[in-house]
Amino acid sequence: KMFQLTATPSSALADEPVAIRATGLPPSKVVTLQASLKDEKGNLFQSRAFYRANKAGEIDLEQDPALGGDYVGVHSMGLFWSMKPTVAFQRLLKRDVMNSPFCITLDLYDSVCFKDSATVPPRVSQMVQRWFSGPGVQRKQIREGRVRGALFLPPGEGPFPGIIDLFGNIGGLVEFRASLLASSGFAVLALAYFAYEDLPEKLLEVDLEYFEEAASFLLSHPKIQRPGIGVISVSKGAEIGLAMACYLKQVVATVCINGCNMVVEVPLRYRDLVVPPILPALEYSQVHMSGAVSLQRCFGELLNKSNHQSVLPVEKAEGKILFIVGENDECIHSRAFAERAMDQLRSHGRSTGRMLAYPGAGHLIEPPYAPLCFWSWQHKLACPVVWGGDPVAHASTQEHVWGEIQKFFRQHLVKTTNKL
Amino acid sequence: MAQLTAAPLSALVDEPVHIRATGLTPSQLVCLRASLSDEKGNLFYSQAYYKASDTGEVDLEMDPSLGGDFVGVHPMGLFWSLKPETPLKRLMKRDVMNSPFQIQLKLCDPDVPITNRDSSTLTASLTLERWYVAPGVTRIEVKEGRLRGALFLPPGDNHFPGVIDLFGSGGGLIEFRAGLLASRGFATLALAYWGYDDLPRQLREVDIEYFEEAVNFLLRHPKVLGPGVGILSICKGAEIGLSMAINLKQISATVLINGPNFVISNPHVYRGEVSQPTPYSIELISSNALGFVAFHRVYEQTGDVDSQYFFPIEKAQGHFLFIVGEEDKNINSKCYAQQAIEQLRRNGKENWTLLSYPGAGHLIEPPYSPLCYASRIPYVHPNILWGGDVIPHAAAQEHSWKEIQKFLREHLISTRTSQL
Repeated sequence: KMFQLTATPSSALADEPVAIRATGLPPSKVVTLQASLKDEKGNLFQSRAFYRANKAGEIDLEQDPALGGDYVGVHSMGLFWSMKPTVAFQRLLKRDVMNSPFCITLDLYDSVCFKDSATVPPRVSQMVQRWFSGPGVQRKQIREGRVRGALFLPPGEGPFPGIIDLFGNIGGLVEFRASLLASSGFAVLALAYFAYEDLPEKLLEVDLEYFEEAASFLLSHPKIQRPGIGVISVSKGAEIGLAMACYLKQVVATVCINGCNMVVEVPLRYRDLVVPPILPALEYSQVHMSGAVSLQRCFGELLNKSNHQSVLPVEKAEGKILFIVGENDECIHSRAFAERAMDQLRSHGRSTGRMLAYPGAGHLIEPPYAPLCFWSWQHKLACPVVWGGDPVAHASTQEHVWGEIQKFFRQHLVKTTNKL
Repeated sequence: MAQLTAAPLSALVDEPVHIRATGLTPSQLVCLRASLSDEKGNLFYSQAYYKASDTGEVDLEMDPSLGGDFVGVHPMGLFWSLKPETPLKRLMKRDVMNSPFQIQLKLCDPDVPITNRDSSTLTASLTLERWYVAPGVTRIEVKEGRLRGALFLPPGDNHFPGVIDLFGSGGGLIEFRAGLLASRGFATLALAYWGYDDLPRQLREVDIEYFEEAVNFLLRHPKVLGPGVGILSICKGAEIGLSMAINLKQISATVLINGPNFVISNPHVYRGEVSQPTPYSIELISSNALGFVAFHRVYEQTGDVDSQYFFPIEKAQGHFLFIVGEEDKNINSKCYAQQAIEQLRRNGKENWTLLSYPGAGHLIEPPYSPLCYASRIPYVHPNILWGGDVIPHAAAQEHSWKEIQKFLREHLISTRTSQL
């Protein structure tokens, strides 16, 4: 019997779906499909699912249900988003986004293999490449004034709508989302703000003038549209993104994923203004049965305290704000903070905000098909932290959110220019 | 001067401890930490945050934990929420006669990162002893005929109801529950059946005649009350316990914790009659977001539905106590208990009691045992999910232990008085 395994396209952007099919199998045989990936540090991530071939000896992941394994049911991209690290608490994150893809090996075994290392060789294998930048996308290292980061430009003359991309307490420079967005036609500045090059090693305060410099830099670039830019931000980055929306007129469209509407932990400074932070109460942390820590209640307690000083004045934002909420976020009480911000907008008669809440999604909402990172090591606290999320719901959330983010930016950043 | 008290300092593991802190400032936030080193040097930890009263006291019987390993009023929470430093290690006492588990209780300043175990801001500490045998309990190594195990006898010259204690999972001789049951007045035989001494290194078949030898051995013992004996069994042990109760007339009372009502993996043999193991679908296993594997669906097409596989429980003469953890992710425990009970009902029998515990997992152990919600079984799988939510699991352990003793006393002692 000639076992065959096809994955189409075998080389694509990481946010594009892949159609996986197997043929030439014994009729009605239960087989194992396994996906394996080694990240840039050599850490192994794997997933597997068990499928039953039909009478013609075929399996089509777009129609057939997994019987068991890392997911159950019809999930054509399940092998990708259910991958898990073999060593606990590791997070899958592409660092070099220009020069190499993630290489995923798909293996088909003609029996049910559920132990970590199969005792039989696979009958057939296929390699799939997942790229984080499309053809023609350019990357420029940025060291302008204080600004540190990487600017991703789509191919062509432009001008392109400009976006600043902010991650959270992971620090350093995280580029993969910026490069993927650039592959969809946006000019994106992945901006670092601590623990990178000559930036401060620890985040002791949020200096909004630094982010204003970054915004001005972006707007001064010949390939970037004027007069306004967007911001895409997650976690701690989303708190900063929201502050940018409030205080910086050049920010006209802001996506805040699972962030607080208050200044938390470290003060926010902008010119003469110093906004005091509210401190999470660590005594409300909860140790998950795995030993990892859930911080959600520490931040949740902030909602009970009436610290108006620390609340960000969203009513001052002139641009549009899109709040993305994972309802199973174990890090912060994301929905409650987003609702507070939406209430604040309404009570000031502003209709600039919109909230999308996703049941089952966790804290780390990433581009489509990214594996759910349920928990990982958090360096600041020196312990593993639970991010939360139910795998199936989280995966469909990531797909939906990516489309909504691009729609939002196209609607509010791309202006039809009146050529006189 | 801050003080920490706990009473009693030395007790059986199934006895509660009253923990208090005094001499604090009003509303002072403190952290209570428990730590334990098992016989192999594996460390287990738990912690909880409390706010002192106006009189500077914390009383765990009345005051709620704000966060940490549990939330709310749980006087014994520090015990049952202990977690291994190395993930997936199960806490289990091996030498039950000569030493207790020692638990260090520490009262600390909470101004330290959550998982900083070696806090230098220690205010007070004490050591508790948790024993698995009461003073005067004797242990007799059993090596008669084929039998291998340990017999635990309560102190005194009386006759005691006899119980055979059977575990499942990894074979060997597990003694801690038998020692505890003996401390509560039962002559308890911890019986090994594979992976111990000169017993088979792997279980090939369940020879009920071996277990019949054990029953006869117990009944022959001068300190054992007859005319029947009881069984306390979990998981694979419960599968065997059920088989024993059906085939051996001297079984008067059988406690079945999270067991199947059909043959699993190895055939049962009794006087030439062989019961074959039930077919299963291994492809129905599934991994949760953390990568732990649930096995409870593998009998979905056979043992879960088809009565041809069921044990003929209606043939048993003794009484049954079914204990079910409804969140058992290892076997479909609730379904199997219900099937067995239905079969008894259909045959006009009322010799059963069901205790079904929402939120409890597979490994229901004596009170205050830490929830082991996943661990590894050598040769089977590196990370098996047992299931259970910490708080309801702890409550189930407390409640079921009392019910087990009541049940065994009712059906092992009253048979004797009814003969007079």
